[in-house]
Amino acid sequence: MLDQAFEALKTYDYGTPISELQGIEDAMVAAHADPAVRQDLEQHLIAALGSDISRDAKDYVCRKLAGIGTPAAVPALSKLLPIEANSHLARHALERIPGPEALAALATAAKELSGKLKIGAIGSLGARGDSSSVATLASLLNDADPAVARSAAMSLGLIGGSEATAVLQSAIQTGTGDKDSLIDALLECAESLVRSKQTVEAKVIYESLSGDQQPRLIRLAATRGLLACGARTAAS
Amino acid sequence: MLRRPISLLMLVAFCAAAVTVHADASDDLVDQIVKLLGHPDREFRAAALERVRTDAKGATHTLTFAAQLPKLDASARAALITALGDRGDTAARPAVLEQLDGSPDEEVRTAALAALGEIGTPSDLPRLVKALASESAAEQEAAGTALTRLRDPSVVKVLAADMKTAPPQVRGKLIEVLAARRATGELDAIIAAAMDDDASVRTAAMNALGQIGKPDQLATMLPGVLKAARGGERDNAERNVAEVCNRIDNEGQRGDALIAALDTVAVAQRDELMPLVGRVGGKRLIRFVADIAMGDDASRRSFGIDALSKWPDASPADTLLEIANKTTDAAERRQAFQAYVKVCAIRDRRNDQQRLERMKQAMKEARTTEEKIAVINRTRTAYDVEAMRFVRPYLDQPEFCQAACETIVELAHHRQVRDPNKAEFDAVLDQVIKLSTNDELVERANRYKRGETWERKK
Repeated sequence: MLDQAFEALKTYDYGTPISELQGIEDAMVAAHADPAVRQDLEQHLIAALGSDISRDAKDYVCRKLAGIGTPAAVPALSKLLPIEANSHLARHALERIPGPEALAALATAAKELSGKLKIGAIGSLGARGDSSSVATLASLLNDADPAVARSAAMSLGLIGGSEATAVLQSAIQTGTGDKDSLIDALLECAESLVRSKQTVEAKVIYESLSGDQQPRLIRLAATRGLLACGARTAAS
Repeated sequence: MLRRPISLLMLVAFCAAAVTVHADASDDLVDQIVKLLGHPDREFRAAALERVRTDAKGATHTLTFAAQLPKLDASARAALITALGDRGDTAARPAVLEQLDGSPDEEVRTAALAALGEIGTPSDLPRLVKALASESAAEQEAAGTALTRLRDPSVVKVLAADMKTAPPQVRGKLIEVLAARRATGELDAIIAAAMDDDASVRTAAMNALGQIGKPDQLATMLPGVLKAARGGERDNAERNVAEVCNRIDNEGQRGDALIAALDTVAVAQRDELMPLVGRVGGKRLIRFVADIAMGDDASRRSFGIDALSKWPDASPADTLLEIANKTTDAAERRQAFQAYVKVCAIRDRRNDQQRLERMKQAMKEARTTEEKIAVINRTRTAYDVEAMRFVRPYLDQPEFCQAACETIVELAHHRQVRDPNKAEFDAVLDQVIKLSTNDELVERANRYKRGETWERKK
């Protein structure tokens, strides 16, 4: 049944009924309970990714690897990162595969690729939310491409934590990168601190952004943040 | 032995310290909020108000917030009163009442009235009832909403008692409140109000009965229909009684219940209720009305035909056609044929093709120009390109041209009919643009050709 489905995958393209791949769908379900099935399925999927199949088929394989992929799938997925047609779904899988291998592949892509593909890789680093990406993202804050600098700031905001906060505060002070994006990211960091009840740290950020020299909307966001800190402290 | 008391003392000290820290944190938040309540920028004030609604719980803090009211301008005061209402702490009630009684600003009084719905008590009922007669529409509405929301089981009884003595304008509003509160225990008082001398009170009562009335009270509602003045008020009363009838799921039982209720009305007045029977519809009632519509008494026949014309679906169409074809009286033919066309065109459960077939049949039966125009007009309810094809030839006949123009434009209004047949519609709309004497129709035709929408004036 599985072999039959992978045979069908060779000619699978837009418009082909998904029922032809039912064998893979069934194996996905079985993989949750049986590590051997999972390993076998992953190997089949990795092999398929390296073969000459359609874009839609590769997208399908990436989606399945996002569900059951392990570090073993990282090399095959990494090869798709520089290809515009496949990069998005490859990142979709790499964002979800656990372990440092997937993170390293995305970090390499964020450094080496350019344009939209680079921005995509930066966004995926933010989506993974791993603080070990902070240094990579910090180095991109003053990238010549403003869109790259902005997305690096946003990803730092998504990662949050004290390290990302320090990088963003320092960049604001030294005038590195896009100021609006840096402040947005800093507010994002502060919100995640409030959520994790680190109100003292969050308050410091909000107070730094509530001064009269800040634009109205930033002051408003900082004021809301300070109130949220107060409410969280009073409730705990 | 000494260790236990020492441990106990340490625990007490720790708890006391924790309470103090918590109280300090809470006070800090309250200070923050208070500072922002007077901020000149409303967005900043809104941030603080959001916290008034949900945080820094307790009567002490509520009183601190309420104490800010006199320091604020009218708009900020109204917003704080609303937030205090949403906070739901009755400790704010005295301050809110003070604003209601002492403020010259409508915005503030309106907010105070609305807040009483959340933090008021039954002792506020006289104030709220009085506000129903306020000159300000906003205050009236806020008082009505507050009376609907006020949480106390005694409220309904007090309002029902007030309803008997209040001035008519207030009586109507109190009935609306009782209906909104689903005060089914006060239905007798509402039924009595349906016989009030004031039309607005009667209308409010019938509306309330439509909302919360029960089928076993149908007989007591019928005098309210008869008391209603013919025209809009009567139509409204009939609709509400029909609404109550429709709470009986079984069609046969529904018909029986209405017939039983009609039996309680004097025979002389029963015919006046025939249009109501029409609104309720159903096979059981068709027979009942058809007997009257086809009977020997000409004046009763008119009531019957009128009732059939109000049927909610096309089921009496054949009966009406039979009456129209058999009668020798021109006025009765006219009434029956118009009713026949009306029910044929009604948008009931039939599909558009079935509806169009009925219209084609009606056209074959039409004898005069007036009857044919009626058919052309009503064909607009068959949302199908075939309806346009059926009407299009009438554009070439001067006596039907304007009616056909109108129907074609109405059909073109429906994008799902127009878009799949754009070329055909564009061509016929070009004809309409050339032939119509109505500027609005021409404008609509042009808009539909361009793929634009048109909003019907209310």
